[in-house]
Amino acid sequence: MLGKLTWSAIPFSQPIPMAASVLMIVGILALLAWLTLKGHWRYLWKEWFTSVDHKRIGVMYCVLALVMLIRGFTDALMMRSQQAIAFHSAGYLPPEHYDQVFSAHGTIMIFFVAMTFMIGLMNFAVPLQLGVRDVAFPTLNAVSLWLNAAAILLVNLSLVVGEFGRAGWLSFPPLSELKYSPGVGIDYYLWALQISGIGTLLTGVNFVTTILKIRAPGMTLMRMPIFCWTSLASSLLMVAAFPILTATFAMLLLDRYLGFHFFTDTAGGNSMMYMNLIWAWGHPEVYILILPAFGVFSEVISTFSGKPLFGYRSMVIATMAICILSFVVWLHHFFTMGAGADVNAFFGIMSMIIAVPTGVKIFNWLFTLWGGRVRFEEPLLWALAFMVTFAIGGMTGVLLAVPPADFVLHNSLFLVAHFHNVVIGGVLFGAFAGYSYWFPKAFGFRLDPRIGKAAFWCWTIGFYVAFMPLYVVGLEGMTRRMQHYDVAEWHPWLIVAAVGAGIIACGIALQILQLVVSIRHREQLRDVTGDPWDGRTLEWITFSPPPHFNFAVMPDVTGAEAYWGLKQKAIQQHRLMDLPEYKPIEMPRHSPTGFIAAFFSVVTGFALIWHIWWMATVGLIGAFGAIVGFGWRNRYEYELPAAELARIDNERRQARIALVEGRVKWITPVRHSDIQAHGSRRLGWIEEPLGGHLGPAPKRIITAYGFWIFLLSDFILFSGFYAAYAVLAHATAGGPTAHQLFDLKILAIETACLLLSSFACGMASIAASVRSMRWTQVGYLVTGVLGLGFLGLEISEFAKMVAMGAGPQRSAFLSSFFALVGLHGLHVAIGLVWLATMMAMTWAKGFRADIMRRGLCFALFWHALDIIWVGIFTNVYLLGTSP
Amino acid sequence: MSEHEIDSPGASHEPDAAPGDPEAGEEHSIGAGVRNYLIGLGLAAVLTVASFWAASGTGLLYIPGIPMALAALAIGQMGVHLVFFLHITTGPDNTNNALALAFGVLIVGIVIAGSLWIMYHMNMNMMTPPSDM
Repeated sequence: MLGKLTWSAIPFSQPIPMAASVLMIVGILALLAWLTLKGHWRYLWKEWFTSVDHKRIGVMYCVLALVMLIRGFTDALMMRSQQAIAFHSAGYLPPEHYDQVFSAHGTIMIFFVAMTFMIGLMNFAVPLQLGVRDVAFPTLNAVSLWLNAAAILLVNLSLVVGEFGRAGWLSFPPLSELKYSPGVGIDYYLWALQISGIGTLLTGVNFVTTILKIRAPGMTLMRMPIFCWTSLASSLLMVAAFPILTATFAMLLLDRYLGFHFFTDTAGGNSMMYMNLIWAWGHPEVYILILPAFGVFSEVISTFSGKPLFGYRSMVIATMAICILSFVVWLHHFFTMGAGADVNAFFGIMSMIIAVPTGVKIFNWLFTLWGGRVRFEEPLLWALAFMVTFAIGGMTGVLLAVPPADFVLHNSLFLVAHFHNVVIGGVLFGAFAGYSYWFPKAFGFRLDPRIGKAAFWCWTIGFYVAFMPLYVVGLEGMTRRMQHYDVAEWHPWLIVAAVGAGIIACGIALQILQLVVSIRHREQLRDVTGDPWDGRTLEWITFSPPPHFNFAVMPDVTGAEAYWGLKQKAIQQHRLMDLPEYKPIEMPRHSPTGFIAAFFSVVTGFALIWHIWWMATVGLIGAFGAIVGFGWRNRYEYELPAAELARIDNERRQARIALVEGRVKWITPVRHSDIQAHGSRRLGWIEEPLGGHLGPAPKRIITAYGFWIFLLSDFILFSGFYAAYAVLAHATAGGPTAHQLFDLKILAIETACLLLSSFACGMASIAASVRSMRWTQVGYLVTGVLGLGFLGLEISEFAKMVAMGAGPQRSAFLSSFFALVGLHGLHVAIGLVWLATMMAMTWAKGFRADIMRRGLCFALFWHALDIIWVGIFTNVYLLGTSP
Repeated sequence: MSEHEIDSPGASHEPDAAPGDPEAGEEHSIGAGVRNYLIGLGLAAVLTVASFWAASGTGLLYIPGIPMALAALAIGQMGVHLVFFLHITTGPDNTNNALALAFGVLIVGIVIAGSLWIMYHMNMNMMTPPSDM
């Protein structure tokens, strides 16, 4: 009934996890009790949990990230204190617990702090900077958020029920295989990250579509703020890299749950393939994290220097170059694994080349500061500390990119110091810069600057004290993840490092204090103008906090630095721009879809971890129901009348007048800027026409383009499985070969079924375009029947192979074959369920615009399955049986 | 947003079409649409038969060249599906869609070719017996 779950799953016998669990549970209960007593539930549910507003979603991401930062940092303190005392002694953390601590620390910090924080900032700022009212798919955005929250819940649940993985933050096999990690720790890790990975992928799809298809009139690509560019690059990387992670984890899950042999050390499995695949995701991942941070720094440095960004074009080119190059360096994470000199040399050189665009950026920031009126506010301090720290981290990175040096330093604390140097000094400082920069926009009051600066100094000094010693002990030969050691030279350095961690702890405490004090003093810190920093981009044109529709009228963009241009013009002319013509707008209704889908994904994840199969089924059906329920609803938008918009916008204009006249006390009075040193053509206040961009694309294009991006990520998912097949195809482990197994007659019939079904789907599309209900349904029916025929043939083929002892457990070749072909079959099955729902929906509701859009997406999906099948039937079946 | 509700292309001056929609601007009759899918089906069928034929070990093909022939036929057929079924073209209204596809294809190529290159080298270098690979 409850699978593997028994009372022994709760760690009663281990004092430290037990105390932590009790503390966490008491904390959560106290919070829930407080919310209930104060009666905040209704407000939270209506305004936050069901919100599809990108700003609220962004804020919730950041809250999750800050909470998880405290959790991950607690792990860090435990590791630093353990190593400070574990010289010639066992310390206080037993090895099996220490292993969980460092695994959880890495997983949490990367996925649930760095990723979550960056996605939060993107959510908050990108639509505002683009001058639009929301992202392309608002409800999907909420689904992403709540899937991420579901994953966080699962990771924290592992503290109380069961255990977490002990195989490091990337869970390398064979250690993470069932044979060596029989517990549920790795399963917690894998399912949590699969769920959050889906959320991240959907975020990527959403933001690529938003940035490319939904921008204010006149906002051409080359007029976008740099943060939008870096968010675009980061989202493209999410779309391209996360499917590889999903594929890799899926293979490990198949190994663990169904006895496949992708990465096992028996039956031809190859654990090195896991390193290869996971780093093909892992390296783009670090750029997913750092690129938005680069964007934040660009905005902050330009704003607080009072100058346009130096070298905007080179910044854009550098960003997009990194976006591509980040996909050709992954081997530098495993130089020592045994590839030959050619391979190591190629990837070593590529790794050094990727430092070049990053160097370009550093110079751009320096030249932006040069000659500017620099204001040393908290966001700029983070940016300055970043430039110094990141340059050091970048240079140790270039050192590690030299393969012979890497052979000495691989897996040492030097490496640990290097990536903390870039991740803390780059991503985390970027997150904090963005947090203090956009906080007044999000909440309408600034953060206390004095405490903020104190926190900044604690973090920066603490960082150097904590991590510079690790470079030293790394060079002295200390490897990472040591629970105890007996080398006397290391001990003092590790004590210093622990002191550094203590200083960082003070920084975190000060940040919490800053938040509390700022909330208490919010009236003194109030931002009445909406433009507290003398900003340059469109988010500063609206209220702080912005109304849920962001802009009463979409701003007309006439140049780069859209807001700066309007502001300078207003100041020059001593008047605001003319009253616009207000038109009613439609906003998406709030929806609990995301919350409900995530609830069921927690149920499913938990059930799968503990092998409670009935519960997993319930969870999957629930999640499916939530999505169909969302698709079925009739009213998904509501209208805001023009009069209401005019009234709200008038308040904003009143506040603006003070700004134009320079009567705001805490900001530098805005003067007409006299700085035109470089690229004056790019200065916003030189009026240019709309540049050919008339604003957001029609909904049909937005939806289909988003789905197209999703399909590309699906192709990449398949490429991961196909790469595994291609590498493992000869690993038959003495079992049957392709020649003995594949039946080309059945293959021919399967292929014919699929081709004809695609044709029928095309006919249905044509019938739908002329609104013929009968022929649309007939077309879909034929599509479905042929698809069902394909699926039936495939299942019988699989059953026959399993019956003759050639199942996926037989050899790595068969594992990869079943996984690849089965994945395609799974897609066909999902397509059939989708088709059935869509037929019912079309029948019940007719050819409504949103249903037509979904029909277009389905057609894309169904035709794309052909393309994948073409790859499979030629390069798996025919190639496998050819002479 | 109401301005998105217009479900016809042409609300923006930049030529832009939804992936999967036949070319914008041109009025497509049912006959033209059906003909397009029929041509696609016919070409796909021809290429499929050609693939089966190439793999059957016909004496006409140099045997070590068969994998190359199969790969070429597969890529050709994928192209046919893209053009005739998914309506991805090289026209100006499809620039965005084609660029996105190019990015996807690039990554697919890097993942597959890179993995094969790396793993092949690794196996050669570590001198793993090929049967065990």
